[in-house]
Amino acid sequence: MASTTQLPAAPEAPAFTPATPRQSSSRARRRRPNLPGGLGGWLWLAVIVLPIYYVVITSLKNQAGFFTTNPMLPPTEPTLDNYKLVLENDFARYFVNSVIVTLGTVIPALFVSFMAAYAIVRGKGRFVNWTNNLFLLGLAIPLHATIIPIYWMITRAHLYDTLLALILPSIAFAIPVSVLILSNFMRDVPNELFESMRLDGCSDWAMLWRLALPMTKPAVITVGIYNALHVWNGFLFPLILTQSPATRVLPLSLWTFQGEFSVNIPAVLASVVLATLPLLVLYIVARRQLISGLTAGFSK
Amino acid sequence: MTITSSNRRRARDAGPSGWLAAPALVFFLVFAVVPLAGVVFLSFTSWDGLREIRLEGLASWTTVLTDPVTGNALLVTAKIMFFSFIVQAPISLLLGVFTAGSQKYRAALAVLYFLPLLLSSAAVAIAFKALLDPNFGLGPGLQVPILIQDWLGNSDLVLFVVVFVIAWQFVPFHTLIYQGGVRQIPTSLYEAAEIDGAGRVRQFLNITLPQLKYTIITSSTLMVVGSLAYFDLIFVLTGGGPGYSTRLLPLHMYLTGFKANDMGAASALGVILIVIGLGLALLLQRLGGKNRNDSQLEGA
Amino acid sequence: MTTRKLRSVAMAISAAALSVSLAACGSSGPAGSTAAGDGASMWGLTGGNQPVLQKSVEAWNSAHSDQSIKLDFFANDAYKTKVRTAVGAGEGPTFIYGWGGGVLKSYVDADQVEDLSAFVKENPEVKERYLPAVLKNGEIDGKTYALPNNNVQPVVLYYNKEVFDKVGAQPPKTWGELMALVPKFKEAGIAPFSLGGQSKWPDLMWLEYLVERIGGPEVFANIAADKPGAWSDPAVTEALTKIQQLADAGGFVNGFSSIAADSNADQALLYTGKAAMVLQGGWIYQGMKKDAGSFVTGGKLGFTTFPTVEGGKGDPANVVGNPSNFWSISAKATDEQKKAALNYVKDGMFTDADTDALIASGAVPVINGIESKLAASPDKDFLTFVYGLAKNAPSFTLSWDQALSPAQGDAMLSNLDQIFLKKITPQQFVSTMNATIGK
Repeated sequence: MASTTQLPAAPEAPAFTPATPRQSSSRARRRRPNLPGGLGGWLWLAVIVLPIYYVVITSLKNQAGFFTTNPMLPPTEPTLDNYKLVLENDFARYFVNSVIVTLGTVIPALFVSFMAAYAIVRGKGRFVNWTNNLFLLGLAIPLHATIIPIYWMITRAHLYDTLLALILPSIAFAIPVSVLILSNFMRDVPNELFESMRLDGCSDWAMLWRLALPMTKPAVITVGIYNALHVWNGFLFPLILTQSPATRVLPLSLWTFQGEFSVNIPAVLASVVLATLPLLVLYIVARRQLISGLTAGFSK
Repeated sequence: MTITSSNRRRARDAGPSGWLAAPALVFFLVFAVVPLAGVVFLSFTSWDGLREIRLEGLASWTTVLTDPVTGNALLVTAKIMFFSFIVQAPISLLLGVFTAGSQKYRAALAVLYFLPLLLSSAAVAIAFKALLDPNFGLGPGLQVPILIQDWLGNSDLVLFVVVFVIAWQFVPFHTLIYQGGVRQIPTSLYEAAEIDGAGRVRQFLNITLPQLKYTIITSSTLMVVGSLAYFDLIFVLTGGGPGYSTRLLPLHMYLTGFKANDMGAASALGVILIVIGLGLALLLQRLGGKNRNDSQLEGA
Repeated sequence: MTTRKLRSVAMAISAAALSVSLAACGSSGPAGSTAAGDGASMWGLTGGNQPVLQKSVEAWNSAHSDQSIKLDFFANDAYKTKVRTAVGAGEGPTFIYGWGGGVLKSYVDADQVEDLSAFVKENPEVKERYLPAVLKNGEIDGKTYALPNNNVQPVVLYYNKEVFDKVGAQPPKTWGELMALVPKFKEAGIAPFSLGGQSKWPDLMWLEYLVERIGGPEVFANIAADKPGAWSDPAVTEALTKIQQLADAGGFVNGFSSIAADSNADQALLYTGKAAMVLQGGWIYQGMKKDAGSFVTGGKLGFTTFPTVEGGKGDPANVVGNPSNFWSISAKATDEQKKAALNYVKDGMFTDADTDALIASGAVPVINGIESKLAASPDKDFLTFVYGLAKNAPSFTLSWDQALSPAQGDAMLSNLDQIFLKKITPQQFVSTMNATIGK
């Protein structure tokens, strides 16, 4: 299938690293500095960084300072009180909820998608084809348009306002893209390897975990991160399917902090910073994996 | 392994069992396909979220199709789709080319460019709401007259502000896709052009653009189909206002269902949303020729 | 072959079981604590009354550990968005916080709230403690479904005395005076009126009062009764036209439609002197007392009734706003929860400590015989003003967005938003709203 050429087939080459030969030759090629390019680059940097800078410095101001000082200047007396206020307002609980929902979605989603991808790549027959086509169709449909029946189902199953209410539909929504990417990678595993294992008497179950998984590990990580980002930042399901502070996740907590802290904008922005910190840490320690996870299946 | 030889032979003939796909299929059927059927069914009912669901025939459809707000929501959706495409596409393309360059400072800039990817839509919306506040935000603080606008309250301006914030959030993602695409262009093409004396602009037009054809299709599809999913950002940023000026279709569906409590009409809007999403995905696929990757249909 | 099939099935089942067990970890977290637990649950609103309610429930819980109440707070907009969803899901709190009116009626129609008539009859002292006019708002078809739980909240015209002194102006007594003040403040670089337009409901206060002053309470009574064409009353068109005239004259602060009343940004404009006046609910007095204490205690905050409109039919003593907030008891609660809830309503609410705390926060409790307490309060000017308003009003119209059905309320607020922005004409508003009658 043609799609294999597009995906990051080489497991050790995440999307972010340029191939080395290219790097050296392009350095040779681009001798003249590209003035308009550079200018545009710095300009866009300003566009990106200014709002972030504003959020960070404002979160360090006290409320009086916010009303009276120049919004673009850093505070003369920086304070961490806003962060303290956010942390005192059950931030840790929302963080834990987000972690539970994200892991509770991503791990099962990867698990079932991986098995399905294996069945689709290695299997034949109408059932497998039909399943694959169904998943492909799922990619084309804005699934959040089905939120009303999902709300109905969740309430009837007495799952409303539980974390499971967020996890179950999130798993389903993660399946199509996960299966697609994983199966694209799995097609790259040479058939001979499967055949020789089969001749050794290995079952599908064994081949799945002992051959297919190690060979597609980078793809699994990529898909895992991709799904995790979506679930971590998801807003619609938590908004509709949960209610109480006990089941609140981070994106929703930002929205509610907005109401609770009222004019205390610095505290609201401190909550924005705190909610973003976990991903920032991930970005710093595992930038390549995160970046390839972001564009899973879309680049290369 | 305990498999008998006859089993092994059979397995080789048929490939692995399709049942491996069953868990994924079950999740997808229950939480995506059933709701999909459910939203169609509910569009023929009347339900206020509290009482019993009653079959009402075409009543909800009549309400939705005769309500001028629906037409307005479609128009707003189309506008946001169009403007965010013409703003995001060139910027991401140019930035993608720019960051794919080998200069050290470009790589450093790229690290910062991708920061917005870490923020959830709710966080982005809250940050910009504070930044654009007409009394305590950026404009009045800097005392730059042109920045003192009622950015989110002026119904002629707000659409473009929304488009800008969307671009701020999503350009990094598309930049990443283009960066990956550019890095796959064989360097030899540029070297040959260099020998022919082609300038930077001609190289860009004659080599980079044609070589990026599939990347452009991928990114454009994501931008267009993805704009059907801009719910959370706009919900937090403007709530659809002022008036109806940023109430796009997904938001209109949500407000109809969960604020005006007309679940029947909201389901009809959901069906419209699904049909548009499906139609757009198929249309773009046709326009772009055979896609190399079906994952392009995924709304990011 | 059968072995293989069985194996596959077993594999699929174990896989499914594994994924379920993994997923199940989600519900074992903190989620368990709220899911229709044992004790009664209560959702309150953040803001001025939050500490009072918190203390009241804490006091109740420490005295009645067997009937304890779990209390959570939500911001106004978030609460309104979510409570109905929760009630519809059968997972609402035992105590449902409300405003009476159309929303309460929709709960009653769906059998979601308890009929409290028998309880009120058995416990006459509960009924007797309230101001009768307020109590009425919790009744539907002669039955009691909701009992007032806090303070009377008429809409009041607040002004910044300092700013008024600076430009040498007097608070407006008539609409003509009000319009004449607009250029005066604009010249001084001060916005005449602050307005939290993004929240939409503050816009409504203008329409409510203008319609009331121009046409009297019957105009809205007809709308609320779903009489066909009720919005076509000339008073509505005139009120909308006056709103647009005021907006045209620059009466509302720059960027009013991106100011959220939920974040108190509209009050902030008043006490920071960026705006001269604001038309808002009685509850923002508490908010300002908390956020800008010296502004309130220093006597810089002025308040008065909404001006009369020349030639209008409405009694100038009539009031609009929220008579009070109410507790309804969820019909879906367990008997134990209901019992605890009713006991709290009977013995835990409006204790002397509650009443004193409400008054101290700058609010007027909706109960009888508190005149002396109000007069002894440092906020006595405002409190007696509000108490007088509520007690002497021939008519107290409930906020329209609460009085109407949710579908009508939503359409009304969005269309009114467009009136303020001059995106539609009063005639368009009237015909759009007539189409929602009965919805």
